[in-house]
Amino acid sequence: MGYTRVHAEVHEYDVFARKTRVEPLHQVGSVVAPDDDLAMAYARATYDEERWVEMMIVPKAAIISLWAPGGDS
Amino acid sequence: MRYAEWCIAAPTLEADIAAAAMGLDDIGHSRVLYGSLRELGTADAGTDESPSYANVPFLDRPWTDWSEFVAGNAVLDSAFTLMMESLANGNVDVLRTRLKKMLQEERYHTLHGRSWMQEVKAGAALTRAWRESLEWIGPENSDVDELHREGRLAHGVRDLRRLLEERLDGHAPPSGLEWHGWEPIRRRIQPGGIDQATLEMLQGLAEKRYMPASG
Repeated sequence: MGYTRVHAEVHEYDVFARKTRVEPLHQVGSVVAPDDDLAMAYARATYDEERWVEMMIVPKAAIISLWAPGGDS
Repeated sequence: MRYAEWCIAAPTLEADIAAAAMGLDDIGHSRVLYGSLRELGTADAGTDESPSYANVPFLDRPWTDWSEFVAGNAVLDSAFTLMMESLANGNVDVLRTRLKKMLQEERYHTLHGRSWMQEVKAGAALTRAWRESLEWIGPENSDVDELHREGRLAHGVRDLRRLLEERLDGHAPPSGLEWHGWEPIRRRIQPGGIDQATLEMLQGLAEKRYMPASG
């Protein structure tokens, strides 16, 4: 997904994190940025309120949805 | 402090939050660094009877344009980080561990600054920040090179200049640096200092105005 805001083009990234090694990663939010570097900086700044053992970001465009609320199936 | 002033004024909400987060990071880093002075053979901060405040000229006044934030973030913060890396890779064992978390956090400052540098034409602010970074690193054969010879710093002045240039890929460093008038303590050439209002906030005097009168 790309759309215009302050930057010429920005992308949406989902942010995933977990607090312990034994728990699965779960989505904690999302950020909007023009590139991966700034998305990493924004994700760290925005969602750093917990002591995460792992955090990662995924470009929303890379996610393949099988079904979603409001869909036909 | 200058980062924090932009926490509601940056071009995007995400940049607002990043400014606040980086400001908080750097307050924590300052506390760690002041506490590390003893490890480098310098008296603890705050024990001097006539304390003074030292900063690079770029921080003397609040930034009035986002390009100044970007230049400070991309160039000066990178120079500070390089010096911390150099300390962390030096032979002072306690600094190796103490600076580790700081460097992890600074990685995101670098990402933020470099990415914004691609977005914003910071021109004059970038040149100024770079010049002041070189002044802050200092001239050759000064204290930085001495600490390098002792092994406390992993890099000398020439290495630090080269590494800073590498980190700011594609940008040429300013030329014709003149060291006349360089102050070894404040590590700057330009006279002047931080504005009084900011100094009072940093010293906690601004908050004291709101404390209930005792007695």
